[in-house]
Amino acid sequence: MTSAPLQALHGGLFEGYDTGAFFDEMFLAPGEPRPHYAKLFQMLGAIPQAQFEDRRNLADIAFLLQGITFTVYSDGTGTERLFPFDLIPRILPHSEWDRIERGLSQRVVALNLFLQDVYGQQRILKERKIPRSLIYSCHHFHREMIGVEVPHGIYTHICGIDLVRCSKTGDFLVLEDNVRTPSGVSYVLENRQVMTRTFPDAFQSYEVRPVHHYPTELCRILRTLSPRGEANAQVVLLTPGIYNSAYFEHSFLAQQMGVELVEGRDLIVDAGVVYMKTIHGLQRVDVIYRRVDDDFLDPLVFRPESLMGVPGLMGAYRAGNVALANAVGNGVADDKAVCAYVPDFIRYYLGEEPILGTVETYLCSRPDDLHYTLAHLPELVVKAVGESGGYGMLIGPASDEETIEIFRKKIEADPRNYIAQPVIGLSRVPSYDVDSKRMAGRHVDLRPYCLYDGQGVTIIPGGLTRVALQPGSLVVNSSQGGGSKDTWVLREDS
Amino acid sequence: MLSRIADSLFWLARYMERAEDTARILDVNYHMLLEQSAVPYRLRWEPLIIMAGEQDRFSQFYKEANAQTVYEFLAFRADNPNSIVQCITKARENARTIRDRISREMWEDINGLYHSVTRFDPAEQISSGPHRFCDAVKFGSHRFFGVTDATLPHDEGWDFLKIGWSLERAEMTARLVDLQFQSLLETPAIVGTADNHQWMAVLRSVGAYEAYRRQYHSPIEPERVAEMLILHPKHPRSIRFSITELQTGLRAISGTGPGSYANEAERLTGKVLESLRYDTVEDMFRFGLHTYLTLMLANCRLIGEDIARTYFYYGAAA
Repeated sequence: MTSAPLQALHGGLFEGYDTGAFFDEMFLAPGEPRPHYAKLFQMLGAIPQAQFEDRRNLADIAFLLQGITFTVYSDGTGTERLFPFDLIPRILPHSEWDRIERGLSQRVVALNLFLQDVYGQQRILKERKIPRSLIYSCHHFHREMIGVEVPHGIYTHICGIDLVRCSKTGDFLVLEDNVRTPSGVSYVLENRQVMTRTFPDAFQSYEVRPVHHYPTELCRILRTLSPRGEANAQVVLLTPGIYNSAYFEHSFLAQQMGVELVEGRDLIVDAGVVYMKTIHGLQRVDVIYRRVDDDFLDPLVFRPESLMGVPGLMGAYRAGNVALANAVGNGVADDKAVCAYVPDFIRYYLGEEPILGTVETYLCSRPDDLHYTLAHLPELVVKAVGESGGYGMLIGPASDEETIEIFRKKIEADPRNYIAQPVIGLSRVPSYDVDSKRMAGRHVDLRPYCLYDGQGVTIIPGGLTRVALQPGSLVVNSSQGGGSKDTWVLREDS
Repeated sequence: MLSRIADSLFWLARYMERAEDTARILDVNYHMLLEQSAVPYRLRWEPLIIMAGEQDRFSQFYKEANAQTVYEFLAFRADNPNSIVQCITKARENARTIRDRISREMWEDINGLYHSVTRFDPAEQISSGPHRFCDAVKFGSHRFFGVTDATLPHDEGWDFLKIGWSLERAEMTARLVDLQFQSLLETPAIVGTADNHQWMAVLRSVGAYEAYRRQYHSPIEPERVAEMLILHPKHPRSIRFSITELQTGLRAISGTGPGSYANEAERLTGKVLESLRYDTVEDMFRFGLHTYLTLMLANCRLIGEDIARTYFYYGAAA
């Protein structure tokens, strides 16, 4: 390749870049970067396209070697695919992050108070602030948890709250809370590591707040939960095993925290105490950071066919002999219909106004909302309340009439199971388009990870920015062409 | 340490060693056999399959053992569980289940090796010969154990890796020697002649040719080759050396001192090692080399089983 004059390369990557009708995280207007992106824009302009490609390859090799891949078993050989990583970081100025941080902390505390209440006194139900039927009809509401005293009253140790920036207003809105077993934090840490190796020059011109203290903080919190006291805390991370799509993350976190990564078959419950099977005999376990869903935790209490779980685990948990993080039963707060009430929880439990807005939600269990939803299906996003990860969804504007009619029947048959939201025009960040070899605007969301120890909420600056790499797509899930970006929170505003 | 993790470390090392040993044997024999034109040598492809203990499986897929079929079978075949690619795949799977317990460098290294061997195109390799492929595997394995040595704490995990590779290596060398002696001694025309290419190949396949030269300064005699590969105290691929390492590893795990044993695996290892220490090559031949090695292999199998019983499996008692 011949080297073209620098002049021609400047703007090369951004040639023909269109900010479109969306909030662009990098540009105020075409060619006019926001103040906190100015230095990066300048830097990218000075990088020849070939060198940019080199850096991309370097990053891909790093991810491949680390084994940060998805395995696709459908073709029989187990092809491994990379979780695509886009090199253009998503940058949040200090003041914007500050507000997000306060808003998330408020939300996490309120969610925890709600869970304490709903599995304890049930004040909020008695005062009819939320319909009792709505709670008791949640798939993930577990009566087994009523009256159980969880260590230090904490349910929501780890939350991965999904935020989106609405293009109309430019504000961040909460999309869902993910208070069960949110995943993805390992990508935040790995993305940063790879980014500092491939773009060291960019970090020199910015003061980016570090993220690598996450495992240390998580481990500290887990240790405080030990029924035998912190000094004797034997912490383990329970994984469903290597075929789970988040297995990389499980092993990564166990390694970073220096705790045992266990599978159900490594544990055994004897007389209400949990042990792990070691080469020198049984060893007591105090705290389990479990990445196995409630339904599979204990075949004696939940799904009897589960092989991932540990028979007797719930008994040990109820007896207070072992701590689980997150607590069992959190799914009730993740129910998309209950989620719509979180602003009310904040007002009810904290006496504060919510700092972060939420995406407007129509609960099909309410007759008015149901009526509105059915009348406006082609313009709404409809979601099943108990699902996550993009399953059980109707995206009205992107669906044909037949699909919409099928969904209409489903909603009419079981209104409680559905909610509807307007389509949010997610903000966009320039991302490298492999085909045109140019930057193009792609939609993003943001999942910050919040850790709660009962005293305060710790949030690592930034979080996971997921990006829909397909042109025009609003779906950021990895199974549908989604990728991720490094997320920078700046110490200053620019 | 979790039993499951100890189990995975043990097998990770075994599979890696098995891949390397298979690559060594394949590489050396392949090139040596190609040089030979005399009729008896044409028949010599079978031993490689017999050594791998895979005659039945091999005959399901191929009519005859020749340069192409043997290479394909031992190196690439997905339905041969002991083919080199399968061994490396399984070594990596084991590493993957315990990647939180091994160093990041070890994981990146074995993962890189896996991706590099699966990227070889079998058809292309089969026509161009196995040297490049076998070299990649051999050095891949060396690098992996080197990275392990340099980055993994030399604690229990290290000891389980050590007993894995040392047991595997002892077995592979025993099989190699046993088979070569049987097949060579059955071909009277060759024994005793100056034509000792086959013995050179045996030595080369365990990387002991130069060492042999230095030690014996003599023509290559079958008895000396056997002595070198079985009884040598210092050569890293001799059976005695491997069993010594095995004993060191087993004792480190259980904390047993010299002169006693904590389990059946240690007792048998000690017994095997004593005979390797005090037997001479003449003793072995008087006893019958084949019988001697068959007994050795049977003991190795028992040791492997008892390691699993002692450290990996929790039966009803748990």
